[in-house]
Amino acid sequence: MNAASTSLRLPRAGAQPSFDAVVAEQLDAVYRYLVYLTGDRSAAEDLAAETFEKAFRSWRRFDPRRSAPRTWLCSIARGVAVDWFRAETRRRRREDAYAREQPTELFGDGLPGPVEAALRALAPGEREVIALRVLLDLDGPSAARVLGISQTACSTRLSRALKRLEEMTNDVDD
Amino acid sequence: MSTIDLLRAHAPAAPEELHRRVSLLRPAPRRGPRLRPVLVLAAAAAIAVLAAVVHGFSTSAPTAQPQTKQTLTPENGAAASGSVHSFAPAKAPDTARAAVAVPAPAPGRLQHTDASIRVRVDDVGNATTRATRIATELGGYAQSVRYRTPQNRAAVSYIELRIPAQNVKRALAQLGGLGTLVSQQLSIEDLTSTLERQSAQIAQLRRRIAALQAALRDPSLPDAQRVLLQIKLAESKRALAQRLHGRKATLSAGATSRVSLVLENRKHAAAAPHHRGRVGRMLHSAVGFLAIEGTVLLFALIVASPFAIALTLLWLWRRRAVDRLLME
Repeated sequence: MNAASTSLRLPRAGAQPSFDAVVAEQLDAVYRYLVYLTGDRSAAEDLAAETFEKAFRSWRRFDPRRSAPRTWLCSIARGVAVDWFRAETRRRRREDAYAREQPTELFGDGLPGPVEAALRALAPGEREVIALRVLLDLDGPSAARVLGISQTACSTRLSRALKRLEEMTNDVDD
Repeated sequence: MSTIDLLRAHAPAAPEELHRRVSLLRPAPRRGPRLRPVLVLAAAAAIAVLAAVVHGFSTSAPTAQPQTKQTLTPENGAAASGSVHSFAPAKAPDTARAAVAVPAPAPGRLQHTDASIRVRVDDVGNATTRATRIATELGGYAQSVRYRTPQNRAAVSYIELRIPAQNVKRALAQLGGLGTLVSQQLSIEDLTSTLERQSAQIAQLRRRIAALQAALRDPSLPDAQRVLLQIKLAESKRALAQRLHGRKATLSAGATSRVSLVLENRKHAAAAPHHRGRVGRMLHSAVGFLAIEGTVLLFALIVASPFAIALTLLWLWRRRAVDRLLME
C-alpha cells in the first residue's frame, strides 16, 4: 500500500470511524512504524497485533476529537514497543551476546542495500522519527505527541536522523 | 530518487497473517464522548453545594422559645441525689418580652440554683443600679459589677448576684423585667445527698471522738497506747472540723443562689449578627460550610502534593529512560 495514498484516506480528526475501518486503514502504517522502531519484522508483527488488541480494548475511550486514529495507534504502539525494548535489553544482558539472524530486507521490500544498511545502523529513536514523519506522513504536532517531546525537539531529531541516514548511505555507496 | 522517496516507495507492508489476526478483533460498541470525568466532577461539586445548603437550612431553623425542661426537676423524681440539672439555653425573640422560666423549688430539699441571663435594656447604667437594688431588696447582694462603655460601642454590664434561695424565682422574674430577655440558662444542683453524707460523717466522727475521750479517761491505760489514742483523737478532731466546714459550705450554697446577669444596650445588640433573616442565616451557614469544605480540600491537596511531585519525577525519569533506550 502506498503511503501517499494512505495519507489521503486518513479520517479527519473529530469524525467517528469504525474500528474495522481504522484497522483496514492503519494496520500497514502501524506495522511500518514498528518495523522501523524495533528493527525486527517478526517482533513488529507481534507488536502490531498487540497494539491493535490494546486499541480494541480501549476503543471506547478513543476520542477522535483529540487525535487522529493514526496518532492514537502510534502512541499505543510506542508503549508496547518500549516494553518490548526493555524486555529485549534484559534478554541481551542475560545472554551477553546478541547474534540473531535478520532477514536481508528488513526495512523495506526491495529497498537498496546501502539504505537498508544505513537504517540498520541508526538508533531506534532515529528510525522512529523517520517512520512517523516520512513513512506515516504524520504532521509535526502529531509526531511530537507520539514521541512525548516538543515539536522543536521532534524536528531536530528528524533532521539529525535524515542527515545521518544520508551520510551513511553515501558512505556505503562510496 | 532521493532517500526519502526510496523509503516511501519501498515501505514494508503488513503480512497477510497479521491482517487476519487483527481482523478477528471486534470492539465493544462505543458509548459516546468521554464525559465520565466531567460527570464525576460535576456530581462532586453538586454534592458539596447540596450538603452546604442542607447544613445551612438545618442550622437556620427558627430559634426556640425560652423553655425549661420540667421533667428534669428533682420534684418529679428524675434525680434525687446531688445531680445537676441544666436547662437548655434559650433565646427569646427580639420583639417580645419573655419571662424567665424557673422550675418550682422542691420542698424539703437543699438545692443550689445557678442562673445566667442576658437582658437587653435601654439604659445599662440605670438597669445596673436597679439590678443591684433588686438583689438587696430580696436579701441578697451584688458580688461583682463590671460596667464598661467602650469607645464607639454600646455599654455592657456584667453583674454577679447572690440571692437567697427562696427568693431566686422572684429575683429572676424582676431581673428579666428590666428589659428584653435575650437568653437564659439555669442549672439546679441538688445538694441534699451531699448534706446527708456530710452529716452522717460528722455524727460518726463525733461518736468516735467520744469513744476515744472515754478510753483516754481510763487511768490504767498504758502510756504507749495512750499516746496512740491521743494521736487518733487529734486526727478525728481535725477531720470533724473539715466536715463541719464542708457542711457549712453546702448549707451556704443551698441557701444562696448565684445569678450572672449581663445587661447590654439595645444599640449593641442591634449590631449582632443574629438579626439576619432565615434565608440570610441559611446562606451564611451554607457559605461557612463551603469554606470548611474548601479547607478540607486544600488540606487534602497539601497532603497529596508530595505524592504528585514524586509521581511527576518518576514519570520524567521513565521518559528519559525510554529516550536513552531508543537512542542507543
